[in-house]
Amino acid sequence: MNLIRGFVTTFKYLFREPVTYQYPEQERPFRERYKGRHALKRYDNGLEKCIGCALCAAACPADAIWVEAAENTDEVRYSPGERYAKTYEINMLRCIFCGYCEDACPTEAIVLEHEHRLSFTDRRDAIYTKADLLDPPSDGVPDTPQRVPPGSFDRSIPDMQNPL
Amino acid sequence: MTENTVTLHIDGTPYQMPEGMNLVDAARIYAGIEIPIFCYHPKMEPVGMCRMCLVDIGFEARDRATGEPVLNPDGTPQVRWGRKLETGCTTRVTAGMHIRTKTQAVTKARKDILEFLLSSHPLDCPICDKGGECPLQDLTMRHGPGTSRMAFDEKKRLGKHLPLGDLIVLDCERCIQCARCIRFQAEVVGDDVLAFHERARSLQIISISDPPFDTYFGGNTADVCPVGALTTVDFRFGARPWEMENIPSISPHGPVGENIALGVRLDRDSGGVKRVKRVLPRQNEEVNEIWISDKTRFGHHFTLSPDRLQTPLLRKRGELVEASWSDAIKAAAKAVKEAGNRVGIIAGPMMTNEDLYMLRGLAGHVGSRKLGVWPPNLGDPDPVAEVGIAAGSRLTALGKGDAVLVIASDLEEEAPIWFLQAKQAADRGAHLVVANMRTTKLDRYAGHVIAYDFNEGVDVLNGLTAAAISHRWTNRSALERVNGYDELTAALKGTRQPYKEAAEAMAKARNLVVFVGDDGLDPEGHTALLRAAANFLIITGHAGQLNNGLVPVWPGANTQGAFDLGFSSENTRAMLKNPPEVLILAGAPAAADPAYAALLDRVETVISLTMFHNAAAGADAPTTAVVLPIQSFAERDGTFTSAMRRVQRFYTAHGPAGQSLPAWEAVGLIGERLGMPRPPRSSALVMQALTEEVRLYSEMTYPALARVAEQFPPIGASPDFYGGATRSAAGGTGIAWPSRAEGRGKLTVKAVRAPEGVKPGPGELVISPVRRLYDRTPEFYTATLMHGRIPEPFAAVNTADASRLGIANGDSVVVHVAGAAVHVTAVVDSYAPEGVVLLPLYLSSEPMPLVPLAGTVEKITEPVPAD
Amino acid sequence: MLKEKYADRIAAIFAKYPDKRSAMMPLLYLAQEEYGYVTPEALGEIAALIGVDPTQVRSISGFYTMFREEPKGKYWLQVCTDLPCALRGAEQFYQELLAELDVEDGGTTADGMFTVERVMCLAACDRAPVLQNNFHYHENLDMDKMRALIRQWREEAGQPAPDAAADSADPDDSAAG
Repeated sequence: MNLIRGFVTTFKYLFREPVTYQYPEQERPFRERYKGRHALKRYDNGLEKCIGCALCAAACPADAIWVEAAENTDEVRYSPGERYAKTYEINMLRCIFCGYCEDACPTEAIVLEHEHRLSFTDRRDAIYTKADLLDPPSDGVPDTPQRVPPGSFDRSIPDMQNPL
Repeated sequence: MTENTVTLHIDGTPYQMPEGMNLVDAARIYAGIEIPIFCYHPKMEPVGMCRMCLVDIGFEARDRATGEPVLNPDGTPQVRWGRKLETGCTTRVTAGMHIRTKTQAVTKARKDILEFLLSSHPLDCPICDKGGECPLQDLTMRHGPGTSRMAFDEKKRLGKHLPLGDLIVLDCERCIQCARCIRFQAEVVGDDVLAFHERARSLQIISISDPPFDTYFGGNTADVCPVGALTTVDFRFGARPWEMENIPSISPHGPVGENIALGVRLDRDSGGVKRVKRVLPRQNEEVNEIWISDKTRFGHHFTLSPDRLQTPLLRKRGELVEASWSDAIKAAAKAVKEAGNRVGIIAGPMMTNEDLYMLRGLAGHVGSRKLGVWPPNLGDPDPVAEVGIAAGSRLTALGKGDAVLVIASDLEEEAPIWFLQAKQAADRGAHLVVANMRTTKLDRYAGHVIAYDFNEGVDVLNGLTAAAISHRWTNRSALERVNGYDELTAALKGTRQPYKEAAEAMAKARNLVVFVGDDGLDPEGHTALLRAAANFLIITGHAGQLNNGLVPVWPGANTQGAFDLGFSSENTRAMLKNPPEVLILAGAPAAADPAYAALLDRVETVISLTMFHNAAAGADAPTTAVVLPIQSFAERDGTFTSAMRRVQRFYTAHGPAGQSLPAWEAVGLIGERLGMPRPPRSSALVMQALTEEVRLYSEMTYPALARVAEQFPPIGASPDFYGGATRSAAGGTGIAWPSRAEGRGKLTVKAVRAPEGVKPGPGELVISPVRRLYDRTPEFYTATLMHGRIPEPFAAVNTADASRLGIANGDSVVVHVAGAAVHVTAVVDSYAPEGVVLLPLYLSSEPMPLVPLAGTVEKITEPVPAD
Repeated sequence: MLKEKYADRIAAIFAKYPDKRSAMMPLLYLAQEEYGYVTPEALGEIAALIGVDPTQVRSISGFYTMFREEPKGKYWLQVCTDLPCALRGAEQFYQELLAELDVEDGGTTADGMFTVERVMCLAACDRAPVLQNNFHYHENLDMDKMRALIRQWREEAGQPAPDAAADSADPDDSAAG
């Protein structure tokens, strides 16, 4: 009797839409709040949002983030304010994708995006550098470092939203 | 402060406290109650500027008519509270005082003050170097309002990157106008180069001295700043405070032995290894209190400099080429073995006690006694062992009724922290006597300035001693244990006594500390001066008492340690007459003196242990056969003995440069090849062996040196309270070995005469070397940020001499002395005494003698070829 | 150099005070009289005379509004706009004065005649709006009195007001006044 019941279940599923995705060819849509690989964001004018404060590194429970800061000048400017991240590295083998770094960030510079295909053949490749993480500037906007008029971007925190 | 204990009530609880103590300190230390502060600092006078310490103060009421205490119905004394809140920092503990720190009014006042301060303070904590160790952050979290009623847009916008001199950057917006930096410069240092400009919300700190912020102590202002307004160029954005390990260490520059903490962190630019990010003071009230000089703070860059020697070098076919340690050790051992007991050692100023012990063991093994100290110009240090400042003394204890004598030393240039402490002792009322052949900055604070002619320092001290004897300012009970007093009296009979008042002030002082330098002295003169100073201390009863005694201003961080382990300057000089076959230069830049540069050529083999492979360390000498890279103070454990005979321990902060080894290990490896036992595995074990062999150091094991003496006021221990970056004494406060005078034995006085000295021939002048704080030795010059502060090579010529020689201020001149030609700029003023040219050491790379000698100064007419 | 030119006056100033440092403000006045404003060189000279660092002298000259640290107009007009004065219309008076002379807050007129700036408390709140012209007080002012004063000062300086044609060429400005 149980045997028949089992076959009935199997038989029923024959006519249902399959839930399996043919992964590489076919991609499943992500939940909006899915936490994938980090991205470092820019303001609309191309300056980096990251100010190198290392609060993400301090918040990281897995000690996966390494930040070293340096000083901006108006001739060589990466971010608004005085400080920018000279080195920004995330070890993806250590990262547990908890998103604490996002929460800690005072300028909303780091965001966990939907990129999830993180594979490496060497442990050293698991360390994503700033060049890997930083979003490219949008079209027609210069990359960093920029040369800016003196005094135009001398505050980092208050003018968080798109300083012009 | 009187030592009367009185009862004071804080929040209703009675506490026993010393009368007259600052209320903020007393509440914290005796009651464990925090009165928050920004502007108050225990090392400076309170000013009550920030109003953060407002408390409710009341007194027990007394009946006006009868003077009887007014009592409440329940029998407790009635308290009459003040109508307004008062600042705690400007209040002193008084009997019958009642304090309330938890009332609604006090809490509200704190909230309001913080809201007010934050109304013009930028909230850029994430990029602020102080963020994480910031008193404003901490106190806002603890006492602040949480929100602000102020409009953010109306915050005052001021300059965020204003250089105050080459080393400090000011962020005007962050300044909360506590004036700690200004008061530090004015009260503690005496260089009043900082001030407020404008007023109210436009108030800014300025410095328009030339050069701006011209001081040797500027870095301390960044430490005492309770916000991130002052940052050092060196550390700016270097790391967040919580990312660093603070490794206890000792300054390798100068004789003070400043206690420091090295903030180390991994660094990508250095290949992902740890390196020193900043140097902070570590509190030790018996040494440097909480201050360090800028040389110590910024002079750490040599530890991982790319200029460091990375691998051993060995001479093959006439060239020094890179070699393995085993080959280099083999070659060194072979040379030492062949030389037998004709091995000489010259140990430099940064050699630790462990290194020196192993060097001495090696010399002992081959039967050599040629243990020399670099520099070679120092006299016999025995008076230091006899009447050196008593163990446990504090210069901070000196004040009214005490006296300080500084002779033949420019303390500001040679030992800046002692300059501060001597100056502050004078400020507290101590009688400061400065005796030198030239003017020094300390003269400003002196009660007596004794300007003597070249080579007459001994006569000055003999005159002081003679005055003390003839006026019976001697100490009778002290004289009972003195040998040779009658002979001294006889020898000094008829000595001129031109400085009677100074002699009286010093002889009658409760405590007397004598700093003796080697300015303008040859070794015999230095020996005589030290002995003459000891005579004065002994006969006036100032030997062997706490806060009394002799402090030699040695040139190096561990010169005293070298003397303690049997090395001497005399042995170094003896090698000139009787050159050894093999000369081991242990961190000694001997070729910086032309006589010793010639010595390198006269020995058969030079083995150089060095951090920097340069001409001074023998790189150009054809006899240099083996060069071994050794580690700096930051790469290893070790101990230095300060000139106050305090043995202090430092710890490994980061990994080694290249293949370098600690000097003791390199020496041990050579010894092992010569049949000595295997070298100990760690410097702790070397020190263990040292303590068993050297009686003076019998207590100085590593665990003992790591013990921490209680510090008062506890500035370093509670960083959030006094709001400075000063670190606690953790890691050890060190142990000073007692001088002989502290024991019961007999003391000996001995009459000394000034030696012959230099006799310049016709047309000649005395060329006297002087030490400058900032020089071009690789241990300091690797700090590139300091280059702007290092003077160009110069020679100070007296105005009269200059006009005779036709030299004007700023002329290029060449100084010929002892076969050396030194190209410098002439500085003509009355700073140099007549007949003497002051030639600062190590400002140019040209070798120059380290002792005063006769020479000539010649104006250069054609321009110097640039090279 | 002040030291050579005014040796007697400097000696007289120093004689008044027990402490040399106390002579700083009279010396600053002297320097201002000589050079028109407290020049950076003057700061150095005074510092050398007293024996302090120039930073300390600048601190004093910066704190007090009587000292000018940069060149100012021939007539230096200071208006107090602190609260009591503002209640008596000083702020409005100040704005009108700026418009009348066509200068910015703290600025100098193009002809170099007038510098107009705010100061804190002239200790004459009861007679506000009050204006200080080169240390002389003018009290209970309104714009009519002020225009008369300006005309008077211009005549004194031998520089009559820009003619009416110039005024009418710029109607916006006069409308604002």
